[in-house]
Amino acid sequence: MTIELIPAEQFTLQELTELYNQTRVDYMVPMPMNASRLGDYVHDFDIDLSRSCVARAADGQMRGLCMLGVRQKQAWITRLGVLPSTRRSGVGSALLDCMLENAHSLGIEDIQLEVIKNNVPAYNLFLCKDFKETGEYLVMRRAPHPSAAPLQGNDVWLNRDEALEVLQSCPNHLTWINDLASMRNASDVECLRLTLQDGSAGWLVYRNTKFTLRSTLSHLVIHTEKGDPNEVGAQLLLNLHIRYPHHDTYAENIHINDPHLPALRALGYFENFARIEMHRLSTT
Amino acid sequence: MARILYIEDIQDNITLVEKIVTSRGHEFISANNAELGLELAFDLHPDLILLDLGLPDADGQTLSVWLRSEPAFEAVPIIVLTAWPEEVVRHTVEAYGLDGYLCKPFSLTALVQIIDSALAKKTS
Repeated sequence: MTIELIPAEQFTLQELTELYNQTRVDYMVPMPMNASRLGDYVHDFDIDLSRSCVARAADGQMRGLCMLGVRQKQAWITRLGVLPSTRRSGVGSALLDCMLENAHSLGIEDIQLEVIKNNVPAYNLFLCKDFKETGEYLVMRRAPHPSAAPLQGNDVWLNRDEALEVLQSCPNHLTWINDLASMRNASDVECLRLTLQDGSAGWLVYRNTKFTLRSTLSHLVIHTEKGDPNEVGAQLLLNLHIRYPHHDTYAENIHINDPHLPALRALGYFENFARIEMHRLSTT
Repeated sequence: MARILYIEDIQDNITLVEKIVTSRGHEFISANNAELGLELAFDLHPDLILLDLGLPDADGQTLSVWLRSEPAFEAVPIIVLTAWPEEVVRHTVEAYGLDGYLCKPFSLTALVQIIDSALAKKTS
């Protein structure tokens, strides 16, 4: 199929949203967006629309798209999607090549992406383009429900600037959407610092986003500075959910070996799906 | 006759479900996003809500939390119709206190049965 790759900046957010939703209509984990949410996504995750692409066929129809997040020496490929009727015709590969070229043109050698686990066609495409698997992450959900467990420890609730300072000290690798740069772009970041009676301590950075009726919690990053991560994690989460008893919670990209996973599960978090993080390190 | 609200962003799905619902003599209303769904729920007080999880503004889980937090909707059955994997949907329905689910693609018979069952439970 003959296609033309056009910078995404030439389209409105509404057009990009409609195309993106059409590419995901039969997706294994349907997650449509509206223009407002896509706008937030572009802002929060440093998507460069001048280096993102839309694939247009000779008949003038848009057939697919792919976006590129850019931060100094790193790039993130995201929102890759092709219309169901156009798949297996090389459009996805062409879009991906375009993103790689655009990243290389900026001198970026570390290019990363995430693919939903068991999306075999996409995973194989990325392997073909020399991406290597670097980690597996869980996307988890928790419905609001009351907790009867007693609170422990000394809790300190930090504002956005303080939360970002805490996150800066995180020693663990964070995926693109949860890392410091993404959180810096967000206005709704908060943090809980907790010290337990035995001296155990940790913190929990999260986003508290206002929606129509109530806020939701998301982008949780949990870290135990001292003590048992299971105990510290459980108390951090318990404090969070007692403070916000009616908030729906969405925890994205929790590493499958995160020591706080038992605490998350104990507090009612359940797995929605898994993502595989992949990196491509170029030597050119 | 019951009033049934279907919150779903894909028009083909809305059209299909509308045919089934109206053929059973029910009144059918639809919303293609969470915010409109919430607005219609408040304005029209449906007897049953059919809910997709993948919505373009707030997702179905979050919308169900909003609905369930309002006294007016505490007793209104919410049935999930979704393409998400069945195990995840089952967990979701349990965790969010919803009333049932059908995974797409579902049979028309299954849809009729789950609607009839939910309405019967509400009446009893």
